[in-house]
Amino acid sequence: MSTTAPVRERTEEQDEITDLDVPWIVIVWNDPINLMSYVVFVFQKLFGYSKEKATSLMLDVHHRGKAVVSSGPREKAEFDVFRLHGHGLWATMQKDR
Amino acid sequence: MVSAFKRVGGRIRVRLGQREAEVLRRLPDQLRDVLTAEHLPDGPPDPVAARLFPPAYRDVADREREQEYHTLVHDDLLNAKLANLDLVAGTLERGTVSRRRWTVDLTEEEAMAWLGVLNDLRLALGVRLGVEDDFDGRVDEADPSAPAMHLLAYLGWLEELLVETLSA
Repeated sequence: MSTTAPVRERTEEQDEITDLDVPWIVIVWNDPINLMSYVVFVFQKLFGYSKEKATSLMLDVHHRGKAVVSSGPREKAEFDVFRLHGHGLWATMQKDR
Repeated sequence: MVSAFKRVGGRIRVRLGQREAEVLRRLPDQLRDVLTAEHLPDGPPDPVAARLFPPAYRDVADREREQEYHTLVHDDLLNAKLANLDLVAGTLERGTVSRRRWTVDLTEEEAMAWLGVLNDLRLALGVRLGVEDDFDGRVDEADPSAPAMHLLAYLGWLEELLVETLSA
């Protein structure tokens, strides 16, 4: 009888728990071309943020070089990155640690 | 200065100089060439393509996920950009000239396509020109790439006005 199946099952379970425990964060990086007003517009459009919140995030990107714009499970973070890429923003995702 | 864009009823009216419209009309085909050139098999990595289709994962440990992401989204991103180009090209054909002013009325969808195309054009141009510092629209006339920098500045000016109109 094989013992690999239960072992693998447990590993998958643990991975799942790890993924749920540690959220992913979506980071937008500063770039020299995108307009400040455009970045604010995109944050508002994609995430429904208020003008104030979108502006404050844009200013973080501009002055600090990056800002965390959303977070959540990996699938959600990937979807957000995809939408940001669709709008020409330089976005990446990573585990929040 | 009068804005190039104005909300008129449910439409966004574009009014440009005839010469400006002529410059714009040439751009969708150029961007289409840049976007589709990426499909050349085994070509060297193109920095413009790298900027327009950036990686989602930075961590080397996520390399497999990055490959999955790229495979999953690349065509969708590309097709969305090409669809924007088609919409914009259609409006550039549709526009009419009167007293040396070029005018066209855009639907909301077409205006968003304009925004996407203007932004993609600027990103592509910015990478080609090697712009690394925040670009404020000032051009050094002694620079051999001054004409292209002027185009970048012009497209930025246009995009700024369009964002303003769409945000209002």
